[in-house]
Amino acid sequence: MKDVTRFDAIVVGSGMTGGWAAKELTERGLRTLVLEAGRPITPERDFVEHKPPWEMPFRGLGDRRTVAQRQPMQRNSVSFDEWSHVFWTDDADNPYSTPSDRPFHWFRARQVGGKSTIWSRQVYRWSDLDFEANLRDAVAIDWPIRYADIAPWYDHVERFIGVSGQAEGLSHLPDGPFLPPMALNCVEQHVRERMQEKFGRERLLTIGRVANLTTPHLGRAPCHYCGPCHRGCITRSYFSSVNATLPAARATGRLTLRPFSIVRSLVYDARTGRVTGVRMIDAKTKTERAYTARVVFLCASALESARILLNSGLGNSSGQVGRNIMDHIKGGGGSGQIDGWTDRRTIGDRPNGIYVPRFRNVTARHPDFIRGYGFQGGAGRAGWSAALRAPGIGAALKERLMQLGPWSMSFWGFGEMLPREENRATLHPTLVDAWGIPTLHIECQWSENELAIHRDMNVTAAELLEAAGATNIQPSGGPSTPGGTNHEMGTARMGRDPKTSVLNGWNQLWDVPNVFVTDGAAMTSSGNQNPSLTYMALTARACHYAVGQMKRGEL
Amino acid sequence: MWRTRCRSEPMERRELIHWLVATAGIQCLDSLAPGDLLALGRDVHAAQQPAMRALTSHAERTVSAAAQQILPGADVTAFIDKMLADWYTQGERERFLAGLPELDTRCRARAGQDFVTCAAADQVAVLTALDDEVGTANQHWFAMLKYLTVYGWCTSEAGQRALGLYPMAGRYDGCAPV
Repeated sequence: MKDVTRFDAIVVGSGMTGGWAAKELTERGLRTLVLEAGRPITPERDFVEHKPPWEMPFRGLGDRRTVAQRQPMQRNSVSFDEWSHVFWTDDADNPYSTPSDRPFHWFRARQVGGKSTIWSRQVYRWSDLDFEANLRDAVAIDWPIRYADIAPWYDHVERFIGVSGQAEGLSHLPDGPFLPPMALNCVEQHVRERMQEKFGRERLLTIGRVANLTTPHLGRAPCHYCGPCHRGCITRSYFSSVNATLPAARATGRLTLRPFSIVRSLVYDARTGRVTGVRMIDAKTKTERAYTARVVFLCASALESARILLNSGLGNSSGQVGRNIMDHIKGGGGSGQIDGWTDRRTIGDRPNGIYVPRFRNVTARHPDFIRGYGFQGGAGRAGWSAALRAPGIGAALKERLMQLGPWSMSFWGFGEMLPREENRATLHPTLVDAWGIPTLHIECQWSENELAIHRDMNVTAAELLEAAGATNIQPSGGPSTPGGTNHEMGTARMGRDPKTSVLNGWNQLWDVPNVFVTDGAAMTSSGNQNPSLTYMALTARACHYAVGQMKRGEL
Repeated sequence: MWRTRCRSEPMERRELIHWLVATAGIQCLDSLAPGDLLALGRDVHAAQQPAMRALTSHAERTVSAAAQQILPGADVTAFIDKMLADWYTQGERERFLAGLPELDTRCRARAGQDFVTCAAADQVAVLTALDDEVGTANQHWFAMLKYLTVYGWCTSEAGQRALGLYPMAGRYDGCAPV
């Protein structure tokens, strides 16, 4: 087979944003090459959400020894388990470093679909409360866009991916074209009502807005509530690249998807001031080759896209590439017991929880911190796993295992992180990955603002639980490790000035106009909402712009 | 569910295999339908796992008998062997294997026999005493045995069915009657 090396567009990465770039560019007529660092995925073979525990060698406890050797970092992810570990990278092949006293969790996925197979699927729009935040607070730099610029693209993305949720009419968490919401369970409904009595609409509990289908949608089946979405989805009931955008791109006949293709750097032509394509290494043969295109989209994930720019020596006239790493701080919140409803239980495993939209610094100003946080969580009854160490033996123990515990309600905060230049990734002077590519040294830590947000989570979660009539209220633990929420972003930020930002308002490199970066790297601030929806909307918007520019001969 | 003319109560297929192997029940197979026999044959071959890797045959029988008393019906010996061989550290494995003979020691002191041949009441008494003594000392060999038995049963097909987790409901009801 002849290996075509010339394309209209190259997309680096096939995950959340790479899949969107592939879909949008091919549907607009571009012959597009998607380079994916990892292996191909065949849902029927690789998705294992229905594999019961007794078919797993360690019944879900994981291959402890191998994991300790090969995935000591990736195993810290909440979505990492014996089934899903194959969707995370091998840490030994993909090293990075941090200062010894400042750990950073870098969760990475290398396979077709990237992290879109293992994401938590929560999707929340931003509003101008977020897009104007840096300007209002005089923090870092202003976003070059506002809600009105991205709103049509939120619509566009949500209509395609399918988002179930409840419209609540909040101006700072705009509604979208939702599919029917998933149900709150009886205790969550009770907590919603009690919170309404106490806090009105200021602190609102709603069902999570989630990219899981509740009705048939564009040829995909509704969710059947089996539960472990992070192990794949054979019925395509949640949005992922593999389930939705890549098939759409393939249907155009203009997609070439090349797995096992690790992009090392961009190829720059100083004469034109543009890139001619990319240089990559075949992951299996370790041979190097180049592909050319008129335009390149970096969708490799925030830190990987920054790494490619740094390894290329491109796009960094501002000195901002790799800087301003943000994540969301979590670890704060609380849980409590809700008495009653002992004759009620849940049936099925709802892959979604509740959401309490941000209520701090929305109207009144908090004395201790700027920005805010939202709560995720839910109510449930403990089952067998809470009784694994129960006393006794025999029939009584078996009976105990089959009993459901009391209802408990939990709130887990996700707080905004401010962009700070000193939170940065640089090329490691000596450390390389298994393919000889220089890897990253990551320095990132919370600032006092994030830590104040974390403390407040524990306070307000207790207030919500008290309003709900909970007993035995327990605050959550300490702050998470930076990176641990897997919402890393900001390493090639958008802005209005090439001197202080890497990308313009169209996700286009100021320094090299035919390169676009549309993954989390582009983010100028972090909001507190789960960010993937915004990445996808920015990607679709940038693709629309890029193709227009190409048609006008400007790219 | 399986029934043979030699035993009145219905059995799970796996349970039937164990019963057949443990008793002279093999001669009752003529009461099974041809299709059932075929399925059973497949299962018997599947059940003939390679020898245990961490457990000696005496330890295997001890673990199996203890598991039966900790959770009646628990078929967890192969899982426990797998965990000992491939999951636990050498230190953890040795702690478990060094501790297990205490079941024999206690049964001999009590009834003059090894644990596997002890009367059920003596087995229960020994296990109950250990359970009381060990309490929440999770590193103790008995806590390991009990945990593995409980976890193994809960994640087995029989356990998942008994717990109402398998087969999946295929729907969500957030306020169903218990």
